[in-house]
Order: sequence, then C-alpha cells, then structure tokens
Amino acid sequence: MNRSTLTLALAGSLASAIASTAFAAPLAPEKMAGNEKCYGIALKGQNDCAAGPGTTCAGTSTMDYQGNAWKAVPAGTCTSMNVNGHKGMLAPVKS
Amino acid sequence: MTMTFQDSQNAFAAALLHPDLPLPHGITTARGTADPLRFAVYRNNVHFSLTTALAQRFPVTQRLVGPDFFTGMARAYAADHKPASPLIMHYGDDFPAFIAAFPPAASVAYLADVARIEVAWSQAYHAADGPPLEVAQLAAIAPERIADLAVTPHPSTRLVRSDFPAGSIWSVHQGETVVPVGEWRAEAVLIVRPQMQVEIRILPEGDAEFLACLLRGAALGEAAEAAFAVAADFDFGSALIGLTTLGAFSAFEPLEGEVS
Amino acid sequence: MSMSKDRTAALPQRAGLGLKPEHYATILADRPDVGFFEVHAENYMGAGGPPHRYLEAVADLYPLSLHGVGLSIGAARPLDREHLKRLRMLVDRYRPQSFSEHLAWSTHDSGFLNDLLPLPYTAETLARVIDHVDETQQWLGRRMLLENPSTYLLFSESTIDEIDFLAAVASRTGCGLLLDVNNVMVSAVNHRLDPVAYIDRFPIERVGEIHLAGYDETFDGAGDRLLIDAHGSAVRPDVVELFRHTLSLSGPLPTLIEWDNDVPDFATLHAEAVRADAMLSAAAPRRSVTRAA
Repeated sequence: MNRSTLTLALAGSLASAIASTAFAAPLAPEKMAGNEKCYGIALKGQNDCAAGPGTTCAGTSTMDYQGNAWKAVPAGTCTSMNVNGHKGMLAPVKS
Repeated sequence: MTMTFQDSQNAFAAALLHPDLPLPHGITTARGTADPLRFAVYRNNVHFSLTTALAQRFPVTQRLVGPDFFTGMARAYAADHKPASPLIMHYGDDFPAFIAAFPPAASVAYLADVARIEVAWSQAYHAADGPPLEVAQLAAIAPERIADLAVTPHPSTRLVRSDFPAGSIWSVHQGETVVPVGEWRAEAVLIVRPQMQVEIRILPEGDAEFLACLLRGAALGEAAEAAFAVAADFDFGSALIGLTTLGAFSAFEPLEGEVS
Repeated sequence: MSMSKDRTAALPQRAGLGLKPEHYATILADRPDVGFFEVHAENYMGAGGPPHRYLEAVADLYPLSLHGVGLSIGAARPLDREHLKRLRMLVDRYRPQSFSEHLAWSTHDSGFLNDLLPLPYTAETLARVIDHVDETQQWLGRRMLLENPSTYLLFSESTIDEIDFLAAVASRTGCGLLLDVNNVMVSAVNHRLDPVAYIDRFPIERVGEIHLAGYDETFDGAGDRLLIDAHGSAVRPDVVELFRHTLSLSGPLPTLIEWDNDVPDFATLHAEAVRADAMLSAAAPRRSVTRAA
C-alpha cells in the first residue's frame, strides 16, 4: 500500500468507526465502562485492594528453610486446565 | 586481626545466604556459645519473607502448580535473586523469565506466561496515575496526519502475548472453583489501569500486533500495516477507538524525526 | 525556618493501628474511632494507583505515622540516596505526624534482605548509626524516632549496652526513640535479661511512640525459651503488663498495635486498640521532665 492510499484508508476507517459508535463526544469514566465492553474479551479481575506483597518488620517462627534439597512435581490445577485436548495436560511423569 | 564493621556484616550476610557456610564469627548467646538454631531464625526470615512475597504476587501461578512446588521454585529463585530495593511490590519482575528456564516447570508450558500476566497486573496496579487519551481527541485529528502519529502509552499499559490461553487460565483462577479452559488457543492480553480498577482484556490477533508495534514506538500507519499483515480483517478505526476507550494511551504525538 | 502545622503536630496520645489494604474500605465507610494510622513507608513508594488513593483518603481523616522498614540505618555501608529521596517525597506528600525507623540493617551488596538484622554495639557501629540518623534527619528536614530491635543472638564484640547505645544516638543526633515493648520482652527473654529493668533504664523522656505486638514462642538449640517477634496475634498478657509498667513511668504516649501477619478482621484489630486506649486513659499524665537543651 502506498503512503497516500494508506492515509486515506486509515482516515476512512477511523471516520466510519467514530460515526458508527457515536464516540465523538467526550465520555465520562463511568460511561466509558459501559462502552468499552464492546472491545476485546473482558476477563474477571481481582478486587481493587489486592496490593500484592508488602514489607514486613516481623519475623516468623515457621522454620521451613531447607536449602534447595527439594523434589516435587507440579500438583495444582495445571493438571485440569484443558479437558478437550491434551495441550494443557502435564507430560506423563516418569517414575 | 580485628574485623571492620563492614567485614563482619559481609560475613554475617554470607552465612545468612549460604547455609553451607559456618556460622559467622563472633555471634553468641547469653550462655556464651553460638547457637545455630538462633542464627537459623534470621536465615529463615529472609527466605520465608521472600517466598511469601512471591506467593502473594503470583497467586495464580501458585495455584497452578500447588504450594509445595511453588515454594520450591520460589526458594530456588530467591537463592539467586534478592530484591534490588526495599520496594517489595517490585520483587519478582523477572520471576517469569526464571520460570521459563526452570526445568522442573517445563511440563507446564504456559506457566511463565501466566506469571507474566501477574507481573503486568501488579505493575499496572502501582503504575503512575494520569488521564488517558479521550476518544474525542481522535476525532480532532486531521486525516492527513493520522499515519504519522505515534502514541504515548498510558503508564499502566501492558501487553502479554502467549502461545497459550494464558488470559483465560488466569481468569478461571479468580474465584473459589477452577474450571477448565474451553478453547485452547493463543491469546494476547491487554492489562491497563486508566482509573483505579485494573482492566484485563483479550485482544484479537491483529489488534494485538497493532498495539505491540505502537508500544515499540511505531507510528499508526506502520503499526496498521503490520496488523493487516497478520490479520486481513484488521479494522483500524475500531482498534484505535477500542484501545483508546480502554485507556491504553495518554497522548498522540508526531513521530520524532518525521518530516511532514 | 517556617514549619507547617502538620510537621509540628504530634501523634495523639492514643492507640493507633497499622493500615492494611484489606481494611481500607471498612475504615473509609465506618470511620472508626482510632487515634492514628501507621503505614510502612516502602508500601507507598509505588508511582501511583489505589494505595496512594486510599492513603490520601485515610490521611485526610486521621493522623498518620510513617514507619520505615528498609532504610538500613544499622548498615556499615552508606545509606541509599535513592531511598532517602523516596522517603523525602513521601514525607513531603503526606506530611505525617511522625517518621520512625529501626536500629537494624537489611541492605547488602547482594540486595535487600527483607529482614531486620542485628548489629554489634561498639564505638565504631555507634559512630556509623549516629551518622546515618543525622543524614536521615537532614534529608527529611525533621526529627525521626529510632526503634529498639528484637534480637535472637548477641555479638561477642559488643562493648556497649543496647540502652546506652540508643541513648547515645538520641543525645548526639537529637532524634527521639520508638519504644517497642514487645521487642523488649522478646529480647529480654532471648538474652536472659529482666524486661522491667530494661524499661526502668530506658531514656523514657526521649520516647515519642510505643509499639505493641504479639510474639510467637519456640525453643533454641539448647532448649531455652526463644521468643519470635511475629506480629501475628493479639498482644500477649506479659507484654500488656509491661506496657502498663511503661505507662506508669512515661504517662500516655501514642501507641501502635502491630498485627502484620494473619491479619484479622477490622473489629478484632480495633478491639486491641480499644484495650490499649483504656490503659492510656488510666495512665497518669507524664511527669514533667526537663529535657537536655
């Protein structure tokens, strides 16, 4: 596509998208929340105070430090992520 | 020979981080003898606090492999990766890369990508605040300038592209019960926090390519061409409006060095 | 030098609580009667987002104490200038009624070790800590409080008693002290000292804030009782009694309940503050003390 063709195509695409969605007026944030649902697939998220890890000035009496002497295989929900195919399954564990 | 303060602190830190080393010289108890168990309290505090911080930042990654496996993996990471600063909220930014190269986790091929979503989520959560670009500003652009404009991403905008349904896997772990993911396919996930709520959205393939180019600094025209190349049905106007409405951008700017 | 009202105002002589993200919504909706809230400075050093939004809202309603856990004042190495800048930004933004840090170290060449590590008490370490407190107070443009540590081991090279060490730092730098009564109990039991005698010798006129927390109990390699500063439970009865004894010497002081692990619902946490408030109300006002100029 040459430059002027591209520019024309993009301008036309944007103009028709704006016209068809009546987005031209400024939107309040709460109104945005309704309109944005049309775009992409929204995923359910965490609540708004899931701050993640923070600092601590406390110690612990959980004496679990064992260096790196550790043998384990994944044993969570990963084994059941995909029921229709096998891509989500774990590779068979050799015993 | 007397040790300086710095020497003795280095020795203390070394013994703390390397359990094979003997106890640091000069530590004692009221009984007058050193006690390995008391020194182990500090060793344990360091490792426990770091693995706990990772578990808090990567809850879905932990659920996927179970707490025992996760703790082992987190310990292996923490052994060689200490936080760069006291800002624990940033600890684990490179944990996904570690997971991707961690042989015991190789059987869960999508694990690192899910961890990347969790990094992006917390980065978006703590990112700088700022008003996102509004759709009305799009309508005001002179048509002949569109192709040469670049965008300034919103400080919270992150894009995670995965060969797996990493976004759907993340999503099904948000509640108490976990259900299998229906459609097993590649996903591109946009994470953005235009206001106080982190939004997470799966994008069509062309739109993801478009956004990836924009995040690298490409102009709209160049990014659109790249998107057309991977998805013939790419709709430039809808993509630009959709991304703008989600708050992915802060501003438009003329591409630097571009002559009009 | 002009001083804003906030900077000169002190924390109230009431019980305060650590501000936890899981309680943000409850606190803002119910506005419970709490003397002040305290936060770890490092948890609010992100660029933006909900943590700042909530802290602004809470700081509009309550006095605020900023408690640092990552400055590493007890390190042999120089203080991290970047971290001092971050602290100054926070202090300028939120104008807290108090800023405090620990007599401990946590930063090393290998990174941030995320624990409050102990240091020997010698002429050399005293000089270093004095320099670091001076530097911090200069950067922040305000007086800070330095907290007594809880420790699990001793150093044979130590030549200065912990209380004398803290008193010397305070008198040489002009800083105040944060007296953690739970730390006193933890260290006293761990090192076979008398906790009441520790409180009796402490330079109480320098104390600007008290901390209370719950400890865990275990045994060391020789089977001796070993207390861990765990912050995961209600304040233990012997620490409550030691607090009462402290108040008989100090009069009422701002008193924080620290509960950082296994954080309970807000009502349970608030009950701890109500109990401490009752003890603060019952305490006679602090005897007039003459401070060294």
